[in-house]
Amino acid sequence: MIPLSDFLIVSAGLFCTGLYIILSKHNAIQILIGIELMLNAAVLNLVAFGKFDRLNNGGQLFALFAIVLAAATTAVALAIILNVYKKYKTIDPGKIDELRD
Amino acid sequence: MENFLQAIDTLTIRFALAAVLLPLFAFVINICLPGKSNKAAGWVSTLAVLVSCALSVFVFSRAWNQHQVHQGQLWFTIGNIKLSAGILLNNLSVLMLLLVSLIALPVHIYSTAYMNNDENYKRYFTYLSFFCFSMLALVVVDSLVLFYIFWELVGFSSYLLIGFWFTRPKAILANKKAFIMNRIGDVGLLTAIIIIYVVFRTFDIEQLFGANALVRSTAFQVPGGWQYVACGGIFLAVAAKSAQFPLHTWLPDAMEGPTSVSALIHAATMVAAGVFLLARVYPIFDSQELVVLAVIGCFTAFMAATIALTQNDLKRILAYSTISQLGFMIMAMGIGAYASSLFHLATHAFFKCLLFLVAGIVIHQVQHIKDEYQLDIDPQNILYMGGLRKKMPLTFIACLIGGLALVGLPLTSGYLSKDGILIQSFEWAEGKSWLFKLIPIGALITSWLTAFYVARLIVKVFFGEFRLMQFNPHIKLHISDGAWQYRLTLLFLAICCLFPLFSLHPVLYEHAWVFSGFSRITGLDRVNIYHTIIPAGVNIFSILVIYWAYAVYVRQKALPFPESGLLFKLSYQEWYVDKFYNRFIVMPVMTLSKTAQWIDRNIIDGFIHLLQRTGILLSKIAEWTDRYIVDGLLHLIADLVLGIGNFARNFQGGKVQYYLFSMLAIILAIFLFKILI
Amino acid sequence: MNILSLLIFTPLLFGLLIILLPSAWRASFKYIALLATLVQLGISIWMYLHFKTGTAYAGVNNEGQFQFVQKLPWINLDLGTLGKMQIDYFIGIDGLSITLVLMSSVVMVIAALACWEIKSNLKGFFSLFLLLNAAVIGVFCALDFFLFYIFYELMLLPLYFLIGMWGGARREYAAIKFFLYTLFGSVFMLLVMIGLYLSVKDPATGNHTFNIVQMMNPANYDANSVFSVLGHQTLLGMPARTVGFVVLFIAFAIKVPVVPLHTWLPDAHVEAPTPVSIILAGILLKIGGYGIIRVCLGIFPEVAASGAFWLGLLGVISILYGALNALAQRDLKRMIAYSSVSHMGFVLLGIASLTAEGISGAVMQMVSHGFLATMLFFLAGVVYNRVHDRDIYNFRGLGTAMPRYTTFVMIAFFASLGLPGFSAFIGEAFSLVGAFESPSVNGALPYWMAVCGSAGILLSAAYFLWTLQRMFFGSLSLKGGDVWKTALVDLNFREIITLLPLALLTLALGVMPSLVFDKINDSVLALVEFTKHIIR
Repeated sequence: MIPLSDFLIVSAGLFCTGLYIILSKHNAIQILIGIELMLNAAVLNLVAFGKFDRLNNGGQLFALFAIVLAAATTAVALAIILNVYKKYKTIDPGKIDELRD
Repeated sequence: MENFLQAIDTLTIRFALAAVLLPLFAFVINICLPGKSNKAAGWVSTLAVLVSCALSVFVFSRAWNQHQVHQGQLWFTIGNIKLSAGILLNNLSVLMLLLVSLIALPVHIYSTAYMNNDENYKRYFTYLSFFCFSMLALVVVDSLVLFYIFWELVGFSSYLLIGFWFTRPKAILANKKAFIMNRIGDVGLLTAIIIIYVVFRTFDIEQLFGANALVRSTAFQVPGGWQYVACGGIFLAVAAKSAQFPLHTWLPDAMEGPTSVSALIHAATMVAAGVFLLARVYPIFDSQELVVLAVIGCFTAFMAATIALTQNDLKRILAYSTISQLGFMIMAMGIGAYASSLFHLATHAFFKCLLFLVAGIVIHQVQHIKDEYQLDIDPQNILYMGGLRKKMPLTFIACLIGGLALVGLPLTSGYLSKDGILIQSFEWAEGKSWLFKLIPIGALITSWLTAFYVARLIVKVFFGEFRLMQFNPHIKLHISDGAWQYRLTLLFLAICCLFPLFSLHPVLYEHAWVFSGFSRITGLDRVNIYHTIIPAGVNIFSILVIYWAYAVYVRQKALPFPESGLLFKLSYQEWYVDKFYNRFIVMPVMTLSKTAQWIDRNIIDGFIHLLQRTGILLSKIAEWTDRYIVDGLLHLIADLVLGIGNFARNFQGGKVQYYLFSMLAIILAIFLFKILI
Repeated sequence: MNILSLLIFTPLLFGLLIILLPSAWRASFKYIALLATLVQLGISIWMYLHFKTGTAYAGVNNEGQFQFVQKLPWINLDLGTLGKMQIDYFIGIDGLSITLVLMSSVVMVIAALACWEIKSNLKGFFSLFLLLNAAVIGVFCALDFFLFYIFYELMLLPLYFLIGMWGGARREYAAIKFFLYTLFGSVFMLLVMIGLYLSVKDPATGNHTFNIVQMMNPANYDANSVFSVLGHQTLLGMPARTVGFVVLFIAFAIKVPVVPLHTWLPDAHVEAPTPVSIILAGILLKIGGYGIIRVCLGIFPEVAASGAFWLGLLGVISILYGALNALAQRDLKRMIAYSSVSHMGFVLLGIASLTAEGISGAVMQMVSHGFLATMLFFLAGVVYNRVHDRDIYNFRGLGTAMPRYTTFVMIAFFASLGLPGFSAFIGEAFSLVGAFESPSVNGALPYWMAVCGSAGILLSAAYFLWTLQRMFFGSLSLKGGDVWKTALVDLNFREIITLLPLALLTLALGVMPSLVFDKINDSVLALVEFTKHIIR
């Protein structure tokens, strides 16, 4: 039986990797990948904690739900990235700052 | 009876007032007359003087040797003093009233001819009337304030008349000098009047110097040495007006005015005002001050006589002779010969006026020759004249009578008055130390000097040959005594120079009515030896001197003075008094005024400018401080705020990753915060 | 409507009219200004004729005895614990001011007649002129210190512009000098005024008050206040009342002007246009003298008495120093300006004597100098207008070219040098009588001071006669040659009707001094009595 803490450690590692990618990369797609990693860390946590709800399997259910949603948001994000690229000829979020106040 | 007397007095006062005011009316009318040389002006003025002369005779007959008449009325109130203006008629004032109007009348008549061709005929008579008004008013007023007012007005009218020909540079310098010198006297008089007022609380002449003179009463005490200041002030006034040393130099210069003016103002009336002032305030002097008066008078008489010896200007000689005679009068006042002094004043007025009028005629004639032949000569220089006695006999005789009266030979009025002074001066010096004897001796020498210069004058003008013709042989003379106005006045004045007008006795001055009118000592006995010796000695020696002068100048026997001698120079340069004044008074005052101006420009204004510069400097410093320190601080704060702002701005630079990073940082910070606390 | 208020505000109304009229009518402005001054003159003559005399109308320190009084509450602020602030519109005149008011009105008419020479910016000039007019009369009438101060300051402003904008070549320098001098004085006056306000309480209401008449009564002072008579407070190590007196005196002495605070005067006079010179010399200097009598002497009599020696000394210095300076001038206007310094010295000497004769003489001298200085500056303006030169050395023998002008110059000069028969003589003589009387009456002045003062009379003769001789007598010779000869025409009708009344007035005052003395006598006696009373 794999203890719960191992899951959590893997999940935290995934999350930190994703966070690092988000903060450091200059490419929107890489950032998107970072976001995906962080989402997956969260999903892993959901599944790991799902063992405490054997009756309804709420953890697994939510994990599935989150995966589906993540796919959808990724699609939308990619579309946005494509449009941004069309307009600014770059996908470096540091250079696209016209929304600032 | 009482009422009747009162009414008579009122009438007398009214007449006197009319006599005074008539020339003023003439003055006003003349101002209003049109035209510059309106001949009506002469008649207006002359008529006015004629009427006031008649009124004066009436007033004189009423008041001479009668009780004195004094009436006044409130003039104005200041503080608690009520100043009154009024008329005081006693022997002194009625004598002067008569004298002034009696001299003014012939001078007016003479002037109508003398000034006939002057383009400013009207102005001349306007001034002359104004002078008559001031002079007549001066002698009758009853208050010291009024006295001062008219005292200065006569000086003013004299200023106007000396500068009558105001385009002549010499005339305007002379009138300025005359006015300023008189001003010195005026300041003295004003000071004296105010001191007298402050002590005695009144300006009334009768109360102050009348029968119960306040100035003699012991109830009042003049503080400290102010008695002397007051007397000194009066003395300055006398010296200025009567041309006594040291303020005499204006009078010879004043001869720049028309000769008729010199006759009236600078010989007979105004210059005598100083003596009149002395007579008015006589009780204020004590014996020491009187001695000073006597010394100054004697010295002036002597000095002026020596100067007159060598002058060549006809009018200047007469001017110095006037100064000399006025010195006699002052000296007489000083030695207590009050009556003789006034007597001499009266006789002198007539003969000196006569001499001046003669001089005027002579000068006029020479002036005509000068204009006709375009000669470059001074018409007043006696060196050019001579031998005029045949051409102008009446003038010659008049001049001779006037001259003899001036010398003081018997049968003339001058003899009576002058010998009186001489005799009394010897009597006065009797029993005093030898220093006091110098005064009568000086007077004696002066009268011999007088004889010499008078003789010189008459001889040079009327005897010998007409010297102008020697230089310019082509001249044709048509000289005569001139118009009827000349003849009339000369005749009148010449008669007045003889003894009968003043005394029925030709040699005894005590019998003269003017003398007895003022004499305070009754029953003067003639036991004194001086009464015989002095007149005899003086006259015999005078005649010798006259003969000597005749010998010198007509027979050309010898030159009396070596022209290069020190004494001659001293006399010719008028004792260097004017030069001394210019060097030691006028120049220093001018320097002082320049200094004051310099102080004003450089010290006071300099101080102001220093303040200004300091202000500018301070403001510059303030500006620097403002710019670099006060503003600097402000800018520092502004920069700081800007820096912080810029720093904070970075957090929302639109860079998503920064947002995330800061979010993370904050969360971590909170997390750490939570853990640590 | 109170007649005095009417007198003050008539010129203001006319000034407003001038501002409202279109500039196209500028030719009429001088007539409007003249009309204003004439109306004012009419009112003041009426007041002079209806002015009651007698001890019951002496005024000075007795509020009920002032005439033509108007007293309206003006500023009333409740300051809570600090009490109530009470400033009244309080005007009225007594003997000390009536003659000066009348004199000012006359001088204003003359000044208006002299305005004919002004050619530029007429609207500005005449409105400022009339404002100045109102302020000047206001100063003489105000009995509330605050009101007095307002009028006093209101006077400076138009003058600054009148000199600075319509003046001669160095007008800015002169205007600023004038402004700084007088401002320097008035700023400190403000401080003393406030000090007095805080010290004095109106006995009727218990409030602090600016009322000058009540400031004269020692009983109205708070016992512990700065200027209390009995309190003997000190300020900067000196008695507070002495400081107050000195500060007020300096403010007025600048106006008089007293040597060494006088150097604004020659510059201001020389640069100012003729009408402004006339107002400066004719009226402004008198405000100084009036202020010393009414304010310095009225409010601080005991200090004035103990400091009389110094006042007299300054007076004598002014007389002699001004005269010496006048002797050294070659600019006609500067010469006249310095002669003003000298003549105003007599005013100070007369006041310092603290005797009825001296103070009456001083008031007489002020009235007389008002007319004479007006005349002198008008005359100087005549020749300047014709050839734009005033240098005495550039003229000679004007007597033949301009006989009428020379006649008036002679009248003015001789009247100024104190020829009897003219008013200046009476003024100077009685100032001197006061000075001579003082040692024996109250010991305020020593004898020698009076003697030195009389020497000033001598010097004044010297500089006036020198000018006459140099400029008017002799044969005609001008620096400008024939151009000047044609330019120097004799006086015209307007100038003669301007000068003639002045000449007649000085003559009338000299012959009948009672015209002035009758009106002022009761007040002067009351003032002298009052000062004696306080000193004791």
